[in-house]
Amino acid sequence: MNSTLVSRNVFLYAAAIFIASCGTATFTKTGSDVTIESLRSFHLAFIDEFAVPGKKFNATAFNAKVNEGNAKFQQAIADEKFTARRPVLVDLKAQFDADAAHLKSKASRGKITPALASEMKKDVNKIYDHALGR
Amino acid sequence: MSTKSTTMPSGGKKKRKKPSHKKSELDSALDQVGDESAAAAMKEFQDLLGEAKGDTRELVRQNAEELERRLVLLKKRQIDKEDFDHFVENQKRILRVFVDGQPAQAQERAEKLTLRVLEIAARVAIALI
Repeated sequence: MNSTLVSRNVFLYAAAIFIASCGTATFTKTGSDVTIESLRSFHLAFIDEFAVPGKKFNATAFNAKVNEGNAKFQQAIADEKFTARRPVLVDLKAQFDADAAHLKSKASRGKITPALASEMKKDVNKIYDHALGR
Repeated sequence: MSTKSTTMPSGGKKKRKKPSHKKSELDSALDQVGDESAAAAMKEFQDLLGEAKGDTRELVRQNAEELERRLVLLKKRQIDKEDFDHFVENQKRILRVFVDGQPAQAQERAEKLTLRVLEIAARVAIALI
């Protein structure tokens, strides 16, 4: 009789721990979804600010924004608790780095076109959608 | 924001759509390339691009359509070769992020086909400009 009670309690504890861990995983993933959306907004705003045809290139403002972006991405990677998502965040940072390098090269020579800005934003949206599993 | 689905409903199996006989803007531009040494690459590229555009898997199809659109932008000089190369690298990175989130086997062919098209695209782009 006692052993049945003990078994039942062990089972209930195990079930409670399992349910609680599922809730934590969902919460963690939802939290990282918010982070990824925030990085997407920053990335798109960065392109909007610097991929403007005919706009004079401001190296100081550009470098400040790139530094801000680097800090945001590095923080997101360090804070990510859902380990499977870390490589994805690393890829998002790689995308930001590549976009920043390309924009710097083009904007500093006055070679930004409307098509460049538009296509860059399409790629940004696409990679973030995939990162979010959409 | 894109609203497309990235599911691959055939579970990795591929059905071909009937290729369209209507010549695209890119096909016409490729036909005008006079460089005979590039002819084999052009032919392989057109075949692979046609295969990818007819693929039932959305990611493969979208990548092929995007690549074609950007080759047309390059031809029209709305973007330059540096931009084009940047976008090809982006497409590879986007593919990697997609594949990282999927069962490996189901995506193997999608990855191979798309990467092959992207690799040849660089040679085609040089011939186009």
